[in-house]
Formats: sequence, structure tokens, C-alpha cells
Amino acid sequence: MTAMLELADLTKHYRTKHGVVRAVESVSLRVEPRTTMALVGESGCGKTTIAKMILQLEQPTSGAIRFEGQDIATMDRAALRAYRRQVMAVFQDPYSSLNPRLRVGTIIAEPVLAHERKSRAELAKIVAEVLDVVGMPANAARLYPHEFSGGQRQRIAIARALALRPRLMVLDEPVSALDVSIRAQILNLLADIQTEFGLTYLIISHDLALVEHFSSDVAVVYLGSLSEAGPTEQVFATPQHPYTQALLAAVPLPDPDHVLSEAAAMGEIASAMNPPPGCRFHPRCPHAMDICRTTPPVLTGAPHAAACYLPPHALRDAC
Amino acid sequence: MGASMWRGVPWIPLAILAAVGIFAAGGEWLLPFDPNELDLGSAFKPPFWLEGGDFANPLGADNLGRDILSRIMAGSRVSVIVAFYAILFSGGIGAIAGMIAGYFGGWVDTLLMRLIEIQQSVPAIALALILAAALEPGLWTVVVVIVLTYWAWYARIIRGEIMALKNRDYIAFARVAGVGTPTIFVRHLLPNIFNTLVVLATLQVGQVILFEASLSFLGLGIQQPDISWGLMLSDARQYITNAWWAITMPGIAIMLTCLASNIFGDWLRDRLDPQLRQL
Amino acid sequence: MLLSVRDLQTHLHLKRGVLRAVDGISFDVAEGETLGLVGESGSGKTLTGLSLLRLLPKGSGRIVGGSIKLDGQELTTLSESALARDIRGRKIAMIMQDPMTSLNPVFSIGDQVGSPLRNHDIARGAALRSAVVDVLQRVRLPSPADRLGDYPHQFSGGQRQRIVAAMAIGCTPRLLVADEPTTALDVTIQVQIINLLRTIQADTGAGIILITHDLGVAASLCRRIAVMYAGQIIETGPVRAIYRTPSHPYTKALLAAIPRLGAKRTRLVAIAGQPPSLIDPPSGCRFAARCTQRMDKCAEAPPTVTLSDGHSAACWKLV
Repeated sequence: MTAMLELADLTKHYRTKHGVVRAVESVSLRVEPRTTMALVGESGCGKTTIAKMILQLEQPTSGAIRFEGQDIATMDRAALRAYRRQVMAVFQDPYSSLNPRLRVGTIIAEPVLAHERKSRAELAKIVAEVLDVVGMPANAARLYPHEFSGGQRQRIAIARALALRPRLMVLDEPVSALDVSIRAQILNLLADIQTEFGLTYLIISHDLALVEHFSSDVAVVYLGSLSEAGPTEQVFATPQHPYTQALLAAVPLPDPDHVLSEAAAMGEIASAMNPPPGCRFHPRCPHAMDICRTTPPVLTGAPHAAACYLPPHALRDAC
Repeated sequence: MGASMWRGVPWIPLAILAAVGIFAAGGEWLLPFDPNELDLGSAFKPPFWLEGGDFANPLGADNLGRDILSRIMAGSRVSVIVAFYAILFSGGIGAIAGMIAGYFGGWVDTLLMRLIEIQQSVPAIALALILAAALEPGLWTVVVVIVLTYWAWYARIIRGEIMALKNRDYIAFARVAGVGTPTIFVRHLLPNIFNTLVVLATLQVGQVILFEASLSFLGLGIQQPDISWGLMLSDARQYITNAWWAITMPGIAIMLTCLASNIFGDWLRDRLDPQLRQL
Repeated sequence: MLLSVRDLQTHLHLKRGVLRAVDGISFDVAEGETLGLVGESGSGKTLTGLSLLRLLPKGSGRIVGGSIKLDGQELTTLSESALARDIRGRKIAMIMQDPMTSLNPVFSIGDQVGSPLRNHDIARGAALRSAVVDVLQRVRLPSPADRLGDYPHQFSGGQRQRIVAAMAIGCTPRLLVADEPTTALDVTIQVQIINLLRTIQADTGAGIILITHDLGVAASLCRRIAVMYAGQIIETGPVRAIYRTPSHPYTKALLAAIPRLGAKRTRLVAIAGQPPSLIDPPSGCRFAARCTQRMDKCAEAPPTVTLSDGHSAACWKLV
């Protein structure tokens, strides 16, 4: 079966005045249809850059992005247009993602207008339909974004992304700017429309609890490369990479008897300008060995893969 | 809309601007006197509230006995025409250049920034002298000089705005959804810099009027027998000690027009911003 | 009692009307205790913190009623100059959310950490320098003596938050108000700062008010929790009581709305609707419009019911 989306050795380097920033380094990933792949990692790890390349907001330095088997770099104009109508995005900040000067109806109709010729009445019908799907009243179309709260704006952003009935949606921290009581509404909505429209999701998040709850597969990104990837349940139940373990140990749980551990990751993330040689995590890793300092480990294992020299059992014993 | 549309309208500034507009458009029919009619018997006649003044020349008369009120009304035409074209072209050219440079960045941006720096290192008066020598002094030379001087000011500010705007997620979404670049400019960028343009334009009204005055004073601008407020100022300058009103009255006209356009511009900006509108 | 707040009311005078941001809240903080003020944006938790130091938005913010007593001294009637001299930065210090904006980029960190000590005449000259080095050591900034002349941009996010903490504890304040101190940080750094706050408290015996929207962070740091909703404290109690036997429907709903790491995957229970406007708040229970257990009685303001020692909630259901 062809994957909905496949990343092959995807790499992005930025040239700056101070040197080359290795934002994304040889990332390979398969996203199957109707699943939810989560890219998880700390700020600056490159997860957003990966999303931007998929959305064609950035061009990869090397490597390929294949949508249903076809490399988007080799697509002609028509194929690219078709790609653009099947891949939509929902961004983090519901304030920056809606143009304050346009009415909600115009905002939602934007992707439709870009691809199809429709009469006013047809557009109004499409807008009313998607507004209904996201649980907003039809008269919202006549109002401006500032008349809505953050949660409602995010619903509008989802409606806009849904208007052309895309197949893949990139969700870049879709709820992290929202209040706790609103997050659940939006996450449930996203889960519902995924089932209803058969969507494939790629979600970017730093929130591990959310990722565990929401995704079917997860890829853990550290300093531009994947340290672990696999089915969410397996990765969270038996994390194999010390970085994944450190992340999981550091999440404060809403449970006063839970003990946090900071020992699992010393210090702070290094600079992508000058990443450490070998395994990029080794300066923070409590299990670092000589080989970790010289040779980068390869992501191995299927479906649950980790880029670490420690055999899984050794790691479990060490903890 | 309806009644709320007119809430908080600054009526006095609006009335002043309307008056200036009507004088400029109404031309000769409204004038109490021919502004160029000499009446040496009335020379240096003070305004009506001073001793020796009367309502025939309510704001007094200048050194040649010309009616100051008529001259101010006639002079508004030059101010309005110069302000209109100068702002239209400098704003238009500056905005387009700023939008393109800010949005695309790269070499286009570098090129534009160099041009702006070159422009800003040439003194406006020197530019005016050169142009006046090349062209003929007059209203259109004034417009050309102002446009050449001010476009860079617009371009620089608009470029900055666009650089902030282009990182908004709604622009990113439009690109993701395959919306064309011209549409992005018209739908997303232009409406969002409109306020800035309005504010810059209203700020420029005062500067344009003063600029025209200085050029006319130097003999590079409006030529006699045409009338402009700037020319009135320079004409009356040497009589400031015996006829202060001859220089003060056009000065007040300039001040009121600038002030009115600034206040009106502020109101318009608040009005146009859907977020401020609610407050 | 170190801090005693009674019926505090803080209003924001906006063009649209008077926003009753903090509407009659009472709480205590004992020496060496951490109280968590938990709530969503707009619940009034941040303005409560700012009210203690009277650092309200200039022009619009005003304390209109109630009392704030620190060690028995009334703060609401204290003059601005006395507040600046004896309280701010001296007896009550604050740690803000964003370490980037709480540090001034043009001054060295030695300068900035030293400034409260200088302003309050605690140390000068060589003594000042050694005091600064000492306090930076206490926040575990690596090799502080060598880095006094460095500027904020030369430090990482986690280190900057340590420096901000050092500024706050320099004058050994009696009370530390930490407003979302870890929200801008990654999880592995967040756990380091949480542990730092714990250490600071153990060392100095200061009371801490932790203002947060994150139920996980609150659980890991606080001994007692006060849950705020729409300008009021709707439930308060020991941390275990709040998390194990939440009593107010809002607290229950909030705890059900967050995905939990390691929990079985179930649909999140979303809280419908949004918080009311505080310009014209409902006269009865403010959560009533969103509450699944609403009764007719909820149109009247609910009484605060004591459930067990130190655990109370404001809800008609509990009467």
C-alpha cells in the first residue's frame, strides 16, 4: 500500500551569517491514510520546519516528500494544484491565522475560491455546511474574527481547512494557545471530523499527554533528527530512546503523588548551528557511551524504531 | 451601520476640511473679491476687529491692498491639488515598492533599500533646485519634488509592516491553499496596510503644504500671479512688523488644515479598524 | 499567617465598562507554603498576583475593596513610596512568565541581579558582588563568578529563568509570586525550574504563590490549590483533596478535560461554552451556564461550603 505521505531523508539547512543551521537532518517517515502521525519534540527541534516543507512554505535542502507515492518536487503545475487542494493546515495561534479584515464567510471560502469557480450562493452553502460541521452557527459567516473567542476562532480555522474536503491536514500545535477547558472541545472536534471525512492528520505538538491521547503514531524529534518513532501505544509504554524517556519523566502529571524526575536529561538542548557529533543527544544522556560521541546511531526497528546504541532491554534495566 | 457609522465624528475638523475642499473646487464664484485686485488705498488694512478694519476685508489686506480672505480661499486650490497628487503618487509608488520589497525580500529588497538610502541622502531642496532648473518652476514641479522626496518614506514604513504581516498564519494558510500571489496582495496585504497609509497620508498633508510653501518661497514653486498659502507667507514676511495679519492669516489657514487632517485621520483609522471599532 | 487576603476586589476600567477582574477573593499563604492559583486566561489569577504588589495596569486597574495583609501589615492602604521601598522586590518578589522580557537586554546579568540588592541598600561594592555570585549559585547557574558581565542573550532559556529567579530571591523575600514561571519553557527545562522553586523554598522558607493554568505543574509544586473561575475562587483545599475529591463541577470538569499521560484513551469530556464576560457577570453562580448539573437555585450566588479541613467549594450542590 502506498503511504498517504512519505518523507525520505528530508533535510533542511539554513545558511545564516553565523553559519549553517541544520534544522532538519535526514528525516524519514511514513504516514498511512486515516491515521494520525504526531511529531513531538521541544522548541527548536525542527518539527515545525518539517511541517513547513510538507506545506511547501519551505523548500527542502535535500530528500523527498512523497504524497501518495508522487514526489512533490517533480510535480507539474496541475499536480501541484491538486496537491494543494488536498493538503490543508491548522495553525497554532487563532489570532494570527484569521485575517482580521475579512468576514468569516470570506475567510472560509478562501481555499474554495482559489481552486473553483463558484457562484455566491454555492459559496454560501459550502460555508454554511462547514460551519455546521465545526459546530458554529451559520450567521457567523457575516461577522469578523474579533467577534469570536480563541476556541471559536480555531473552529473557524478548522472549517476553512475543511472547506475543500482535503485528505491530509497538518495541525501545528492546534490547541496549545487555547484554554484548558476549550482544548478538549477542539480535540474532540478534530477527532470527529477525522472519522467523518476520512482525514489523515500530521500533528505537531510539544504536549506528550495530548500526543498520547490523540495520535496513532508518533515520531520524537531531537535537534532535527528522529530519535524514536512508532505506534503511539508502544512508544509511550516502552520508550526505547533515553530522550523519549527523559521527556516522559519530565511531564508533570495532574497527580500530587507523582514524582518528577529531572535526572533523565541533564542540561539543555544544544544549538542546531553546531550540533554535537555522534548522537545529538549524547551530551544530555545519562547512558552515553564512547560510540555515542563519534558515530550517529541509525533509526532501526519496525514498526517501533529507535536511534540508540543501547539495546532496549539494557535501557529498561538501567531505569 | 447607519447611525453608529457617524458616532464620534470630529465635526469641526471635518467642517474645516470640507471648507478647504469647497473653496478649492468652488473657485472664483465664491470669492468676495478678485484675489489679485490691487487697491492701494486698502494696503495694510487690518482685520475687522482691529481699529481701522471693516467687514469689506474681514481678515484685512496685504501690502498691495489685496483681500486676504479671498487670497486664502483662492490659495486653498493649490494646496489641495498639490496635496492630492503628491500624496497619491508618493503613497502609491511607496506602497507598491514597500509591499514588493517586504513580501519577496532577497535581492529585490536589497535593491529597494539602496534606492531609499540614496534618495534619503539627497537633500530635498537640492533636488528641487535641480528639477526646477530642468523643468519649469510651477505646481507640477512641486508635485514631482514632493513625490521624489516622500515615496521612500512610505516605502520604508510599508516594507516594515509587510515584513511583520507576511509571517501571519493567514498568509501561510493562503499559500498552503494555493491562493495566487496577486490575490494575497489584494486580499491580505493591502487591507492590512490601509490604516497605515491613511495615517501616513494625513500626516503628510501638513508636510506637503509646508513643503510647497518653502519651495514657493525660494521661487522654485508656485509663481505669481497664481496664489498659494506658501507664497502668501513669503510675500508677507517682510511686512511682519507693520502688518502681522498678512502673514498670520495664511499661517492659521495652514495650521488649521494640518490639524484638521491629523484629527480626521486619527478618527478614520479607528473607524477602519474592526477591533478598535468595538471599544 | 504570612499573607492574608480578604475579599479582594480589583477592577479594570476599560472603555467598554468596568471589568470585575478579581471579584471578592480570600486566601491565606503560610510561611514555607506553596499555594497554587489555578485558572484559565481571564479568570483573574494574574491580576490577583499583580494586586499584591499593586502593579496593576496604569490608569485602568484599581483595587476597589478588601484587604491584603503581609505579616499583619495592611498593604492596600500603604503609600506608593512605602510599597516600593519596603515591599516590592524586598518582601514580595515576582517571577514572570517570559524570561526574555523580564531581563533587560542592555544590562549585564550581574548588574540586573544586583539591582534589587542595591535599591534596597542590602549590599554595596565588593559585598554586592559576592552577594550576587552567591545568589546565582543558589539558583545553580554554572560558574556564576565568570559570567557576571555576560548579557541575557548569552544564556539559554532555562538559564535566563534561573537568573530571573535569582533577581527575585536576592533580597530573601517573604513571599514569592511566580506567574506561569515554566510556561515558556520546554518540559525537560520546566522540571528543572520546578525543582529549583522547591529548593528555593526549602532554603529560604518563603511562601510561594504559583499562578498557573497547568494542572500538572500545580500538582507537582503546591501544597494547597485555589481554583479560580471568572474572578472568583470557586474551590480551595489541600492539593490531594482537589485532585482526588474535586467537589466543584468546574474543578471536576477541568480535571476530566485534560488528556493524561499513561491514562486509558477515552474521549475527553469537554466543557461546553466559554467563561462569562466580567463586565456584566451573571448574578448567580458564574459557572452555571456551562455546568451540567445546573439547578434553578444556581441563579443565586452559591454559598462557600466547607467540606473538610481546609477544603471548601462554592456550589449549591454541596449545601
